[in-house]
Amino acid sequence: MKLVFTPDWFLGFDVGIELFSFIILSLLLFYTIRTYKLTKNKKALYLGIGFFLVALAELASILTKSILYYDTTITRQVGQMIITYHVVKSVDFLYEAGFFFEKLLTLFGFYIIYRFPLKKVATSDLVLTSLFIVISAFLGQFFYFVFHIITLVLLVLITTNFLKIYDKNKLKNTLILIWGFSLLTLSHIIFAFSKVKSAYVIAEIIQLISYLAFLIVIIMIAKKENAKPRKPK
Amino acid sequence: MQNQENQNKKRTRVEVLYDILRVIQEKSGKIKPTHVMYKANLSHNSMAKHLQDLISSNMIKPTENNQKKSYEITSKGRKFLQEYAQVREFEKTFGL
Repeated sequence: MKLVFTPDWFLGFDVGIELFSFIILSLLLFYTIRTYKLTKNKKALYLGIGFFLVALAELASILTKSILYYDTTITRQVGQMIITYHVVKSVDFLYEAGFFFEKLLTLFGFYIIYRFPLKKVATSDLVLTSLFIVISAFLGQFFYFVFHIITLVLLVLITTNFLKIYDKNKLKNTLILIWGFSLLTLSHIIFAFSKVKSAYVIAEIIQLISYLAFLIVIIMIAKKENAKPRKPK
Repeated sequence: MQNQENQNKKRTRVEVLYDILRVIQEKSGKIKPTHVMYKANLSHNSMAKHLQDLISSNMIKPTENNQKKSYEITSKGRKFLQEYAQVREFEKTFGL
């Protein structure tokens, strides 16, 4: 089973992009926590849980890839010794577990981000959806495109939600957010063709651009100032 | 239409505190209690309660000049205003 589709020359860059994504997601999480603390708005709490899970997914991928790339180097240095082969074989399970959790957390995270503005969901629906997510993450281990197709469906639904929000508020920030999620959706369409090495690289770069869009939103929120004092007459 | 809806919606405690602080900030950081009352759209009792809350959390401090009482915003109050403005922007952006 192929674990990663990164071309040799791109090794490390993909981890860098995921690290950047993790930082942006953590910043978004910070704002949701601050919002919840001040307003006790439960929607902010759910949105925060969504960002937290996607951030954890990125972290799982970063750690797994970092160990995997380091391990590959050791194997190359030692050569084809049987003992090395066994060592690598024994940690195969860790790689698979790492990538499984990445998929599972990503799907759960985006599902929560999609669900948060909607009305309360029935427990039975939640159990059923959770089961589908676990099965999808498991299937994604063998058929990588399954994971990307389900993620892109969730991202399309999230983008549609934000389009409805933009229709009401006409805010520039929301529009940039929509662009960010649209680009993230596009990246998962391309990730579905990861067997083509250049497709994987293009998808990673589009992911980077989408998170840059989220960074712009964060900067615009952070720059928001309170009322300025009036000049004395 | 939406403004009308927003006006009719009951403000939360934090929203009222934000409105009071914003009114003080807009008045160069210092304001008389009567001005707080009509500019922040509050009853006398409600204003007194919220001003007390703000004083006990060190966001404003009472001052007196020629026996006239007024309230001054502190750095903690300014910080709260800044944070709350960002939170409101975040809420609007994400439709929370």
